[in-house]
Amino acid sequence: MCTPKLISRQTFLKASLALAATPLLRYVPAHAAAADVSEVAPGVFVHQGRYEVQSPENRGDMANASFVVGSEGVAVIDTSGSAVMGRELRDAIRAVTNKPIKYVINTHMHPDHVFGNAAFVQDNPTFVGHYKLARALGTRSQGYITANKQMLGEATFKGSEIILPTLSIKEPTTLDLGDRTLLLEPQPTAHTDNDLIVTDSKTNTLFLGDLLFSVHVPTIDGSIKGWLALLDEMGKRKAARVVPGHGPQTMELPEALEPEQRYLATIAADVRRQIAEGKTLAEATKTAGFSEKDAWKLFDQYHVRNVTAAFAELEWE
Amino acid sequence: MPHTFISLAKACGLAALAASLLVLGLPDARAEENVWPILKEQAFGDRPIQEEDGMVVLETPSKVEDAAIVPLTVRVPPSVKGELKSLTLFIDKNPDPKVATLTFGPAAGTSGERSFSTRVRVDNFSHVRAILETADGSLHMTTKFLAAAGGCAAMQAKDPDADSADMGKVIVRTFPPALDSNPIWAAQVMIKHPNHNGMQLDINTAKFIPARFVKEMTVKRDGELVFQLDGTFSISTNPNFRFTFSRGEENDLDVVIVDTDGTVFEGQTHPKGS
Ligand SMILES: [Zn+2]
Repeated sequence: MCTPKLISRQTFLKASLALAATPLLRYVPAHAAAADVSEVAPGVFVHQGRYEVQSPENRGDMANASFVVGSEGVAVIDTSGSAVMGRELRDAIRAVTNKPIKYVINTHMHPDHVFGNAAFVQDNPTFVGHYKLARALGTRSQGYITANKQMLGEATFKGSEIILPTLSIKEPTTLDLGDRTLLLEPQPTAHTDNDLIVTDSKTNTLFLGDLLFSVHVPTIDGSIKGWLALLDEMGKRKAARVVPGHGPQTMELPEALEPEQRYLATIAADVRRQIAEGKTLAEATKTAGFSEKDAWKLFDQYHVRNVTAAFAELEWE
Repeated sequence: MPHTFISLAKACGLAALAASLLVLGLPDARAEENVWPILKEQAFGDRPIQEEDGMVVLETPSKVEDAAIVPLTVRVPPSVKGELKSLTLFIDKNPDPKVATLTFGPAAGTSGERSFSTRVRVDNFSHVRAILETADGSLHMTTKFLAAAGGCAAMQAKDPDADSADMGKVIVRTFPPALDSNPIWAAQVMIKHPNHNGMQLDINTAKFIPARFVKEMTVKRDGELVFQLDGTFSISTNPNFRFTFSRGEENDLDVVIVDTDGTVFEGQTHPKGS
């Protein structure tokens, strides 16, 4: 979609390698009003979001959105950041299959992953999320709606709604799509307090949501300690491929996790040192983690907020 | 299958996550009206206020990244001598514009650079004001403009379950000056407290979480008053304060915090040990 410019050569090569290792089966180009999606494994389709913040031009198309086609139905995994993008994703699904859309799964609460849900209401699916997703969306819904309406513009935002899960996942749970199942695993607080990992059994594809950022700087809206601990666990997993929440369509474990681990570990180390030296939050936001500046896109937009979140968490240690 | 659409009657600006939209600069109508004359009248009557006379300095971030946790620092330059009576912080456009009033005691010091920092919610593009009252009763104000929005309705707690498990935990720290001759010490008080402002929706009950916030904090050094603070929910979740106090014998700090539910929280530090 857009060629990474700011990322380091090393990161870029790694991302390219990860892509090269998984040949694309089908590329379904955007036609009429359908989102462009690629079939990254049999029956597994991914639309790649842009490395941008919400704007009327990108219509909230920032996060990766996926769907898995089984013999008896389809599951959507994240729905992009507006009803109009959700509709285009739905059109892309309909270009591939006429099977019923049985499940709409949100990997977590963020607007760029959930505002497309509204486009699937007509399919009467089960909306699925982490058991803390409903509370998280509830406390933030008004803010999310106001902010996204403003950033996308009234016309583009039109029809976007917060739709709460009708199935809340507290324990690992399996959803049946006919010839394949999806395993849903709720995670402890990391990127947010409502992160869900989805695994397609048939192709061993892991959908990590925003537990994995690539190219796009990670954003901390949960717990930096929890996230670093979870990344250690995720690194031990075996998967044919992983789909990040932001980044290329597919990547490979464990290399895919390394830049994000380094970014978060750098912030944690810098912030802990400054807290030990008696420095203030305002001082930390001017220096902590800035060695990572050239390794990520959107660093200027999110990094200081990440340091703020890390400081407010780590000062309680 | 049923699904739930949320519609809320009550709004309080934008989400913290929308901080990046601030560059767009779209203040809502409230930002246009000047509420300061009313606030001033309520707080200080017709007393004259000197503006920007260098007696008090306010530091705010050049760009607000998270409107739910905006660090503010007030400094009284060393050139200002003598006791201080009070310090009041306002954020004009917040639902409760008064952030806090500090009434100083004898242990607040009479010289050196005195300072006070906290973290606040900012609900709208707003002026932020610090008004210092000196020993002679004169008032001195400095003002900054903050382009931030949405700190009030935004649920700042990223991990509410972990936070409520630690509710009421108080940490008090003191920082001796680099030079022994410096009569001013620094300290920090932090408390795990949601400082609920009554503007956050509880999805399980479909009701707004009742307001519950730190109302009063008293800080004493070796039994002498440093300051008493009257606070509001403009102070961020997990209230955090940095301040200076005058050097004493033991430099033991005792802190008593009372919230709007009447719950009392205490913390202390004894730098020399006990
Ligand atoms: Zn996210």
